[in-house]
Amino acid sequence: MNQEENIQQEENKVRKIIHIDMDAFFASVEQRDFPELKGKAIVVGSPSLRGVIAAASYEARKFGVRSAMPSQTALKKCPQLIFQNHRFDVYKAVSKQVMDILHDYTDLVEPLSIDEAFLDVTTNKKNLRSATLIAQEIRQRIKEETQLTASAGISVNKFVAKIASDQNKPDGVFVIKPNEVVPFIEKLPIKEFFGVGKKTAEKMNKLGIYTGKDLQAWSLNGLVRSFGKVGNFFYSISRGVDDRPVRPNRTRKSVGIENTFYEDLNTDEERLEQLNVLIDGLWNRSARRDIYGRTLTLKVKFSDFIQQTHSKTLLNKLTLKDEIASIAKQLMQEVKFDKKVRLMGLSISNLEGEETNSQPVQLTIDFD
Amino acid sequence: MKFVVSSSELLYHLQAVSRVVSNKSTIPILENILFELGEGKLTITASDLESTMVTSMALDNIEGDGTIALPAKILLETLKKFPEQPITFDIAMDTKKVDIITDKGKFSVIGLDGDEFPEIPSIDADKASRLQVPASLALSGINKTLFATADDELRPVMNGILIEMSPENLTFVASDSHKLVRYQRTDATTEFTSSFILPKKPASFLKNVLVKEDGDISIEFDDKNAFFQMENHQLVCRLVEGNYPSYNAVIPQDNPNKIIINRQEVVNSLGRVSLFSNQASNLVKLSIDGDDLMVSAQDIDFSISAYEKLSCQYDGEPIEIGFKSAFLAELLDNISSEDVVMELADPARAGIFLPVDNEGPEDELMLLMPMMINA
Repeated sequence: MNQEENIQQEENKVRKIIHIDMDAFFASVEQRDFPELKGKAIVVGSPSLRGVIAAASYEARKFGVRSAMPSQTALKKCPQLIFQNHRFDVYKAVSKQVMDILHDYTDLVEPLSIDEAFLDVTTNKKNLRSATLIAQEIRQRIKEETQLTASAGISVNKFVAKIASDQNKPDGVFVIKPNEVVPFIEKLPIKEFFGVGKKTAEKMNKLGIYTGKDLQAWSLNGLVRSFGKVGNFFYSISRGVDDRPVRPNRTRKSVGIENTFYEDLNTDEERLEQLNVLIDGLWNRSARRDIYGRTLTLKVKFSDFIQQTHSKTLLNKLTLKDEIASIAKQLMQEVKFDKKVRLMGLSISNLEGEETNSQPVQLTIDFD
Repeated sequence: MKFVVSSSELLYHLQAVSRVVSNKSTIPILENILFELGEGKLTITASDLESTMVTSMALDNIEGDGTIALPAKILLETLKKFPEQPITFDIAMDTKKVDIITDKGKFSVIGLDGDEFPEIPSIDADKASRLQVPASLALSGINKTLFATADDELRPVMNGILIEMSPENLTFVASDSHKLVRYQRTDATTEFTSSFILPKKPASFLKNVLVKEDGDISIEFDDKNAFFQMENHQLVCRLVEGNYPSYNAVIPQDNPNKIIINRQEVVNSLGRVSLFSNQASNLVKLSIDGDDLMVSAQDIDFSISAYEKLSCQYDGEPIEIGFKSAFLAELLDNISSEDVVMELADPARAGIFLPVDNEGPEDELMLLMPMMINA
């Protein structure tokens, strides 16, 4: 085999992954449809006392307004903020338009949410060799067909592509070539790692891990000891390795329901009443879709926005409403209600057929 | 009071009782060992309130009598460092000052009033039952079962060894609900039927001194305490109250698949293969097909795996079953014969392990619950 073929072989192994991310999606759709909002600090969400922001325009972000922020906090940061009610049907329709464009290039499209997706264009329907070219074409078409902008990240795996799309936002492209992956990750602050949440980032900082390079210094065993199973993932990604394929049919991981209350709950009766509402709702969703899991999680958010989750995993999947109800009530007893409750949620995860289901279980003697 | 004793002989006796002494007792006197001088002998007692161990030694050179409690730790540590020699204990009963006089010097400590030492509980004669067996038999019974006792605060009965006596046999049973051991002796019977649950701690004390005993052990018990009298040691302990679960009901009688394995070969193989098992589950798979026994393990998280093929004797349908490696190895380690019969039903039901020569006065049975790959 001559050298040229060798290089060709090497190249064949490297994947080309694009992460497409719509810019301030909900807010941009609003600004598109209501031109008077263009250039203004707007958010999608309700300005009510209990409202939470779903999306913020770039103009609003300049004031420090972010999605998931309570509306009241946002108003303090930016008093002239304009609130738009959400129009989910419109967003869904636009999302479909965008996803259709992506499917013109490859069937390996994995939507992460309504406004972002991964594409594996290693081989693609247009037989284009340059992923950058594909990304530019996609962004151009999105702009023409929806009058919205999208950012793209291009690299050799999902992890790096996702981070890349954030680098030149909005309306930008960022490529991290195979030989740039490791130096890029080494410099990357740990809090910008996709898959590292706030809590994990804090824990890592405590251990002296601030950048990808710090993370690289850790042994696999050390990471697994400190972070559990996900330590494997950290070990790999710190070396730029992420072999997760782009999965066109992302399987559902959980089914859940949550309610933010008009007035904070303060008594056992109120909480129990709302829990029953959640149990009914969850059961409807679970049974209607024939989705059953083994883990039930109760989430409680207090008036000060501090959140607690309690969960219980059973040997067998939860197929009876009574079971869900009794475990939910058990979980509620684990929560210390010393503050008013703003939100409660209930979800089922560890769904049937998931890999985690195959954790071996030590059987016990059934003494009566 | 005053006595002269051989340093090594005293150390030997102190070591027998010292395991009972707790280092972090809420009652300070229990960190001491009680010395009692009288009738030409020195009696040594240690207690943790639950168990009390007593041993005694005859002495020639004695002046006076009485009791004193001496700090266990310093006494033992010092004695360990003495070469064999006669040492003199000179005790001022009024000040409790104790001088330990050796060849080369003097070591002084302050003792505590011996009367403060907790009294040994007595057996209620009206409710008492009594049996006598060779010390070696009692030792086997404890040795075979102690490892299978539980650490279950919610079910204290499981934290001990059930000792059952009847006109047919004497039975020792222990289970932590993953494994169960039943050890029966037909050569030790009683005219009555009774039972008690010996907690694992005194059981281990007993195991320790039984090794040093030759003759018989006499066991007397009521519903609260048991009194074990051996030639050189006595142990009194509080029993676990409550009912032991009906263990015979959970032992499958007719597991159809009988496989004969070489015990040591399997233990050794488990030692190697289990290193490649998932650390959390420690699962190893046994796949038996004809005379082939394959021991395998894998850890998907780290992409490591291992298998070994051993020979066995089996002529049934191929069968696969998973066990926690540590449990299986521990259990096999405690079976006495070279070859072991493994009786299996299916991957979700208890496996039975028997010595291949399970005859004579000894009847030994171990049960292990499998690990399910998909529950």
